[in-house]
Amino acid sequence: MDNLRLKLARIEKGLSQQELADLCEVTRQTIGLIEKGKYNPTLNLCIKIAITLDKTLNDLFWHENKK
Amino acid sequence: MDERNRQIAYKIISIMYFLTLLAMQAIVLYRQLVLGQDLHEFEDIAIIMTVNSLFLISALLYFGAIPIRKLKIRSILLIYALLVVLGSLFTYAKYNLFGGQELTFRELFDKLIAVFAITGIILLFFIIFSILGKRKMEKELE
Repeated sequence: MDNLRLKLARIEKGLSQQELADLCEVTRQTIGLIEKGKYNPTLNLCIKIAITLDKTLNDLFWHENKK
Repeated sequence: MDERNRQIAYKIISIMYFLTLLAMQAIVLYRQLVLGQDLHEFEDIAIIMTVNSLFLISALLYFGAIPIRKLKIRSILLIYALLVVLGSLFTYAKYNLFGGQELTFRELFDKLIAVFAITGIILLFFIIFSILGKRKMEKELE
């Protein structure tokens, strides 16, 4: 399932995938796969991404109706 | 290299390592049972395999990859008995079925004593590493 909230937050902040990846010290592919929902990042990386985008973990990664 | 690259690399390395161990085990069995070679002809591979497997399981126990809540004497004895039975069956098959030689009771008894002793030493090794690993974990949690 695509993580649209992450994608929107990144665009809102005016960052490309490569820029966000550089700020979080990961590769562009990793950010792309997280946005596509094809890679589950570690909590450390989630926190790094959230801090970089000035969001909370809930804003980016929590799904209200996910069981 | 980020966490995803590392994860993929570790996964591939683990699979390749497992396949290598499996292939080496197959070679040892083939040489032993099909070609009927003596131990000294493949001693080097056998030593590498033994040391490797011994330290692999010990490391898994030490670093907590194999979850052990409590070391119970009953479970240890059960595992020991199981390993002894498997070792004895293998020894019997190796000489009587594949080796084509009928071992006398005395010869078989001598070989079984070796199985009992070696299995005991291996298990003791694992127990020591489990205890050390448990202590390490408790220290980290303090």
